[in-house]
Amino acid sequence: MSALTAKMRTLLSVYYAYMLEYRAEIVFWVLGGLVPFFFMAAWSEAARQGHTAYTPGEYERYFFAVFIARQLAIVWANWTFSDWVRTGKLSFHLLQPLDPAWRILADHAAERGVRLPMLALIGLVFALLFPGALVWPGWAPLLLGLAASTLAFLLSFLVAYSVGLLSFWFEDATEIFELWYVLMLFFSGMLAPLSLYPEAVQRAVYYTPFPHLVYLPASYWSGLEPADPRGFAVLGFWALVFFAVARLLWRAGRRRFSAMGA
Amino acid sequence: MRYLRLAGIFWAASAAARMEYRAAFAVSLVAAVVETAGKLFGVYLFYSNGYDLGGWRWQEALLVLGFAQLVDAFFILLFQPNLRRISEMVQDGTLDFVLLKPVDGQFWMSVQQVGVVGFPYLVTALALLLFAGSASGLPAGGWGLLGVAAVAAVLLGYAVAFLLATTSIWFVKIFNVVYFLSSMIWSAQYPVQAYARPFRLFMTFVLPVYFMTTAPAELALGRAQASWAWALFAVALGFFLLSRAFWRFALRYYSSASS
Repeated sequence: MSALTAKMRTLLSVYYAYMLEYRAEIVFWVLGGLVPFFFMAAWSEAARQGHTAYTPGEYERYFFAVFIARQLAIVWANWTFSDWVRTGKLSFHLLQPLDPAWRILADHAAERGVRLPMLALIGLVFALLFPGALVWPGWAPLLLGLAASTLAFLLSFLVAYSVGLLSFWFEDATEIFELWYVLMLFFSGMLAPLSLYPEAVQRAVYYTPFPHLVYLPASYWSGLEPADPRGFAVLGFWALVFFAVARLLWRAGRRRFSAMGA
Repeated sequence: MRYLRLAGIFWAASAAARMEYRAAFAVSLVAAVVETAGKLFGVYLFYSNGYDLGGWRWQEALLVLGFAQLVDAFFILLFQPNLRRISEMVQDGTLDFVLLKPVDGQFWMSVQQVGVVGFPYLVTALALLLFAGSASGLPAGGWGLLGVAAVAAVLLGYAVAFLLATTSIWFVKIFNVVYFLSSMIWSAQYPVQAYARPFRLFMTFVLPVYFMTTAPAELALGRAQASWAWALFAVALGFFLLSRAFWRFALRYYSSASS
C-alpha cells in the first residue's frame, strides 16, 4: 500500500508539471465550460418577467454551483486510453508494475490542481458581476457537496475508463462516451433546476446516475432545494457497477491487445 | 471548379478512412438523435414554465435551435477535424508540406478532412429546420432567405473558427479554442431576446453567435425590422475576408521546422 502511495505521489507531481505546461489550453477548456451561465441568463430573465418559482438571485447561485460541479467532474480517461491502444503507447505502460488506471487517475487529479485557481478567479469575477449572488452555504453543506462531487467525479471516471477499455475491441470507442455526456447534459440539471422538470421525467431518471451527478452537489452548495442524500447511494451503487465493469473489461481486453509488436 | 473537384477527392478519401470505425458512426447516429431530443426538451422546459424566450412562438424558437444545430454540425463535420490539424502541424513542423503544395493553403487546411460522425447531426439539423419552418408557416420568400442565411451563418462560423485556429501559429497548442467555440454555439441555441441584456450584447458584438442562430431565423421569419439581422451578410463576408488576411499575416511569423 505504501509503495502505491509513493508511486501516486510521484505521478501526481509529474502530471501537475505536465499540466502547467499546457495551462493556456486549460484556460480555453474552462471558458468552454461557461455554458451554464448562458442558461442562467435565460432563466433569470424568465424570473425577472415573473414566470418561474425562483428569483433571479437564486438562479444565479444555482447555476454557479452547477458550473463548479461540472468543472470538478470533467473526465477524459476514455480519450487517453483509446489513444494509448490505437498508437500502441499502452505497451510501455504494460511493462511497468502499476495498473495504468492509476496513471490516468493521477493525470486527472493533477489537472484539478491547475484548474482550481482558475475556478477561484472565475468565482471572483462572478461575485463582482453579480453582487449578492454568492452566499456562504455553511461548512456542512460545503463539505457534503464536495463529497458528492468527488463521488460524481469517481463515477464519471470509471465510466470513461470503461469506455476507453472498449477500444480493445472497437478501435475508436470514444464516441460511446458522447452518449453518456449528452445524457448527463440534459438530465443533470444544467438546462434548468431539476425541480422544474416534469414530474414524470424526474421519476423516470431518478435511479440513473444522471440527476445526481451535478444536481446533488449543486443543491448542497446553492441551497435552492433541499438536497436529497439518497443520491449518494445511487451514485455509490453505479460507481461499484462501473468499477466491476472496468475490472472485467481490463481482464478480458488485455489478452486481445496486440499493438506495435506486442 | 478545380477546387470543388479537389474537395470531392479529399472528402471521399477521408470518409473512406473514417468508415473503418463503423461502431463510432453507429453510436454517433444514436447520440445525434438523443442530443436533438434533449435540445427540444430544453426549449420545452421554458415554454412549460410559461416563458416565451423573449417573445417567440415555440415554432419560431425551434428555427433558432435548428440554425444552432446546423452550425454545430459543420463544426463536427469540417471545422474541428481540419482546424485541429493546424495546431498539430505547427507542432510537428509538417505545415511546410502544405504550404509547398500548388493549392491555396487556407483551402487545403480547411477541407482536407471530413468528420463523418457529423453527418447525423447535419441530417437532424436540416430536419429540425424543415419542421420548424413549416410549423411557423414560412412563405416561399422566407424559405429562400432561410437557405441564403444558412449559408452565411455557416460561413461566419467557419471564419471565426479559422481565425482563432490560426493563432496556433504563435500559441502552438490551442486546439481547445475550437472546443470553446462550439460550446458557445450551444449557448446561442435560444433567441438572444431570451437572455438578460448584457449577455445579449456579448453574443452580438463580442462573440458574434447572434448572427449564426437568431439573425438567420429573424430574416426567414420576416422579423428583421429594427434589428441587426441584415448585417449577417456583411458580418459573414467581413469575417471571411479577415480570416484570409489573418492567415497570410500569420504565415509571415511561421518559422518552419528547420529554419
